[in-house]
Amino acid sequence: MRRIAGLLFILASAAFSIAALSLESAPNASSLPEPQIASEQNLAVVVNLSNPVQNLSMPELRRIFLGERSHWPNGRRITLVMMEPGQPERAVVLRDICQMNETDFNNHFLHGVFTGEVLVSPKTLATPVGVRKFVFNVPGAIGYLRVLDLDPSVKAIRIDERGPEDKGYRLHVPPRSSK
Amino acid sequence: MKFSSPSPIRVMLALKLIGRMIAWRISPLLLGILVNTTILRAQQPVDVAAADKQTLRVLLQRIDQLEARVKQLEAAKQQAAPLSLASPPVQASVPPASETELQADNAVTERMDVSKTLLRMRGFGDITLHGDNQRHDTTAFSLGQLNLFITSDISEKFKFLSEIVFEGGPDNIFGETRGENNTFGVDVERMVLQYSHSDFFKLAVGRYHTAIGYYNTAYHHSTWFQTTTGRPFLFQFEDRGGILPVHTVGASVSGLIPSGHLGLHYVAEVGNGRASRSPITEEPVQNVVDDQNHKAFNLALFARPEAVRGLQVGFSAYRDLLAPVNLPRIGETIFAAHAVLVRSKFEWLNEALLIRHAPNGIPRVFNTPGFYTQVSKQFGSYRPYFRYQYVNASRTEPIFPDVGLRQGPSFGLRYDASETVAVKLQYDYTALRGQPAANALALQVGFTF
Repeated sequence: MRRIAGLLFILASAAFSIAALSLESAPNASSLPEPQIASEQNLAVVVNLSNPVQNLSMPELRRIFLGERSHWPNGRRITLVMMEPGQPERAVVLRDICQMNETDFNNHFLHGVFTGEVLVSPKTLATPVGVRKFVFNVPGAIGYLRVLDLDPSVKAIRIDERGPEDKGYRLHVPPRSSK
Repeated sequence: MKFSSPSPIRVMLALKLIGRMIAWRISPLLLGILVNTTILRAQQPVDVAAADKQTLRVLLQRIDQLEARVKQLEAAKQQAAPLSLASPPVQASVPPASETELQADNAVTERMDVSKTLLRMRGFGDITLHGDNQRHDTTAFSLGQLNLFITSDISEKFKFLSEIVFEGGPDNIFGETRGENNTFGVDVERMVLQYSHSDFFKLAVGRYHTAIGYYNTAYHHSTWFQTTTGRPFLFQFEDRGGILPVHTVGASVSGLIPSGHLGLHYVAEVGNGRASRSPITEEPVQNVVDDQNHKAFNLALFARPEAVRGLQVGFSAYRDLLAPVNLPRIGETIFAAHAVLVRSKFEWLNEALLIRHAPNGIPRVFNTPGFYTQVSKQFGSYRPYFRYQYVNASRTEPIFPDVGLRQGPSFGLRYDASETVAVKLQYDYTALRGQPAANALALQVGFTF
């Protein structure tokens, strides 16, 4: 009996030690990386400060980003600003707003300009700073920026009544690589 | 020299003294360094934030200055209007430094919007190898249309658009041959000045493609955009034997109709219509002179409902009065209806037309019905397609007696060799009234550059 009790004690101690060690080696809950969706940054759709538009529905936004709407309610011509191909922000806009791939998007605008239905092709800029500066300078401009790249020189509009800081906002962009 | 060894008590006292010195003098020094380092580190974001705030303040000041400047200019303009031109310019209250900044800003804007008022050009072309079993036809390589598509943003509201096309002859107008073989001519196929007031009102003047049906305003003079090697017979160009007034010189108004999710659009056109002298040996599109005062009208309505992406349904009605030589005037009415579904990987085009010619003083009306259906689906770079077309004109049709009945299927395969080059292989079978059926094969490369 003693041997058995001793063996059980040893086994229980070993189990306890292993459990304690595993708890120690497990990272603290607060230091765990947040889930992928939470770590992503939201992508804000931005317009010029003088633009009276505060909110757009996703179908309206799609029509604007496909050049099917050429004027804002205040009569200003819409100038679409896109970032260069390959940028994650552009990929999000193509996927979630335009629902097209790069080739289809280019063909769509080429065809639209050819038929005369699309007034102007998108402006393509390389950097968020360039986008911000362009939108600040051109009253009819619309573009997109990561929330971290926002500043008060441009206005982020709400999409389907949700701002980029709100829960349920639909445009997410993967975090920037550290390189 | 002799060194005396210190006693242990003295060593202990010395160590204590050093410890106190560290405690009372060096520790505050180290603490101070630590605190200063922390403060300095903490000040960096504060400085950045302060710089951002300062930048924002400068920007907001600049906005205020610009707004003040605009108000001042507007006021000056209003004041200057009733005054003589010699009145002195209003002095700006904005400091010179701000003007410099404004100019710099304008320069930035101009630099960014470099496309403004500049021509932009894109080209389209095609080369075809084709052969058929018709008499007198030979298998040949053909240079297709070389299309220089030019646009320019004249201002925020005005835009220019044109298609300048080089193409080989001869022309074929309602069965009449004009021009010589293998010679090239130049046509300004579209030349449009467009005024865009809003999405609900756009005005265009010049030479444009008449909004009859769908195909005519969707593909214009580019075979690269088209899935097939050519247009349906119904929408063939006037100088290639077509029966519709494909081009019009005049004015067109178009835009959205507020209709919510239905996506209604309208097009209203007025123009010279087509030349109607018979036989036509001149340019069928009345570019400069109309052969009569009567004008052609066209009204089109179509819907692009949000619920089905790529769907467009619509109809159009065209009305003109033709005045052929040695014939009474003929009222021409063209009804067209279409339902098309166009997506990147799939298309289904359906159009039907009725061309109605009613000579004045003659009870008979000549109706020419026609339709085509075309379906294609993309698999990777390949897009097989099928088209069936039909047109049936009376033997005694007064405007185009050569057309008759023609119908038949076309099969083909389009291969997108790159994003801008397409190779197409197409077989056409056309049954003709009173003639042997035509079998034709075409291999075409179409491209944009």
